[in-house]
Amino acid sequence: MKTLSVLLIEDDMIETMKFNRVLNSLELKHKVTEATNGEEALKILKDKNRIPDLILLDLNMPKMNGKELLKILKDDPVLRYIPAIILSTSNNHQDIKECYEIGVAGYIMKPLKYEEYTQKIKNLLSYWSVSELIKG
Amino acid sequence: MNKTKSPEILTRALFREREARKQAEKILEDKSMELYRLTQELKKANAKLKKQVDQKNSELKGVFQNLVDAYVLMDVFGNVIEMNSAAVELFGYDISIESLNVMNLIYKEDYEYAITSFRKLITDGIFSDYQARVYTKKKGVRTVHINASIIFDQKNKPIAAQGIVRDITEELRGKEVFEEQKKQLSVIVENSSLGIVLSQYKKIIQTNKAFQNLIGYSKEELEQKEVIDISVRDEYESSSAFFEKLHRGIIDDFSINRRFVKKDGSKFWAKTSIAAVRTADGVLRYQVALVEDITEQLEAEKQNKELLLSLEKSNQELKDYAHIVSHDLKSPLRSINALVNWIKEDYNKELEGTGLDNIALIENTLEKMENLISGILNYSSAGNKNNLDTQKLNLNEIITDITDTIFIPKHVTVSIKNKLPYIYGDRTRIQQLFQNIISNAVNYIDKEEGKVDIDYQDKDSYYVFSIKDNGVGIKKEYHEKIFKIFQSLSDNKNSTGIGLSIVKKILDLYEGDIWLESKSGVGTTFYISLKK
Repeated sequence: MKTLSVLLIEDDMIETMKFNRVLNSLELKHKVTEATNGEEALKILKDKNRIPDLILLDLNMPKMNGKELLKILKDDPVLRYIPAIILSTSNNHQDIKECYEIGVAGYIMKPLKYEEYTQKIKNLLSYWSVSELIKG
Repeated sequence: MNKTKSPEILTRALFREREARKQAEKILEDKSMELYRLTQELKKANAKLKKQVDQKNSELKGVFQNLVDAYVLMDVFGNVIEMNSAAVELFGYDISIESLNVMNLIYKEDYEYAITSFRKLITDGIFSDYQARVYTKKKGVRTVHINASIIFDQKNKPIAAQGIVRDITEELRGKEVFEEQKKQLSVIVENSSLGIVLSQYKKIIQTNKAFQNLIGYSKEELEQKEVIDISVRDEYESSSAFFEKLHRGIIDDFSINRRFVKKDGSKFWAKTSIAAVRTADGVLRYQVALVEDITEQLEAEKQNKELLLSLEKSNQELKDYAHIVSHDLKSPLRSINALVNWIKEDYNKELEGTGLDNIALIENTLEKMENLISGILNYSSAGNKNNLDTQKLNLNEIITDITDTIFIPKHVTVSIKNKLPYIYGDRTRIQQLFQNIISNAVNYIDKEEGKVDIDYQDKDSYYVFSIKDNGVGIKKEYHEKIFKIFQSLSDNKNSTGIGLSIVKKILDLYEGDIWLESKSGVGTTFYISLKK
């Protein structure tokens, strides 16, 4: 299993803590970069030496929302190949459809229960760590 | 010698005398012959003249007898001397049997007028256009028109009066009816709230008050105008195709929304219905236009449209709002759940039994809260007609999906009694509909062996589905209440009191119905009717 470089775009501090805690408790060695909003994420992505393997992003964020950020990524000749997975609270059919239209690699509902969350993140990361990726 | 006149002379004289007498006798004879002849001729002429007079008399008599109008001849005292058949028919008297004085025929209210008229007749010798009521023997009171004149003798002394009498009762009545109808019609036309314009070859002939008020011109001003003078030129031209068809008899009427130009130059929108008035042989004689000012109506429509738009917008906003709020509300719940879990993990040893119990209670409460928020979100979107995706649905599949999704304890069996039919609807809504009822049924089972049976009946234009359980049952007083939002009958964490109100909302969407039969402690059957 390879180690992934993950960009987590999440404005909620506790959500970020949850993600990191899952990685710690499962002793996963993935490298996590945090951004609390879209602009910050874009700034990080400008550095072509630090291009992540995987982008996890929340849909509801202040300023630039998840979909807007996604569109920018999918218009970029390099960044468009990074798998982007939505972490969302919305199971709204319209939202899900829209995201897949833009070109997300996955759409994960944030569950209420922490145990369920742990399970989902574990599965997600193990899947992508066995996937072949295009390195920018 | 004188005494001895010669006899030859005497003889000659005698002869001359004889000749003269002869001549005289001949003249006498000739004259008497001539006289005789003249007398004969005179006799003949007389006879001829008499014949002619007789003929004229009888002709005249015929004329009078055959006169359509009544003819009455009377003496100066009013005694009727002669009547023609029309007069007999009209008045009903036969003067060969009974005497008749015209004074007796005069209607009492018209008496004075009759006397005045009669005097005028005597002085002037003629009186025309007398119009009054008379009594008749058989036909009651009739209104008559009389032209009368006096007949004088050679000494210019009045000896009789004659009158031509016409019964105008029916004529008057007809006229009255006509006038009345005309009045009624004009009342309608004048009081109509619709503007009415009568035009002929683009020229305005007549207008009513409503139209004059609308357009701001007086009746007289309008009669000087052509239709184009009060029209917006472009519209006038665009409607000319209709007029063309009207002229050619292809159509008899048409209706357009058009503008009129008022006297002050401003314009108003009017619904205008134009109908053709044709002669018996189909030639277009007039056009009648009914004009209804729809400015306000259009304004109201515009406002309605705006209102609808803003309503749609605020509906959308409300939907978005429910969406956003419910997700924003869920986030802290997730955080609390995570934090509580970390406390449980990190301080597992320090926490006593009660501490762990309380944490379990917090988790339970969080779950209930999340269910409630999900319920509100579902409720707010269930009735939304805009995102319906109607398709043919296999209900058996949907029920299987539901039983796979919801938690069903081992002691409960959900079964389909008869293979369910296909119905048309939005998959999400129909699933929500059945899922809410089935999960209720499952949740409230208190028996050792729980049974939930799903069945249906075909009722021509609709289906009635039944979901029967052997659960706790619902008391009669709650049968209505349970369909109202937040009316939960238990404090179960899965029971938010929203489920059945969502069911109701979805059924409203599909014009379906729901009712139930229940026995406390025995079980409940929910019935759902859905159009095919």
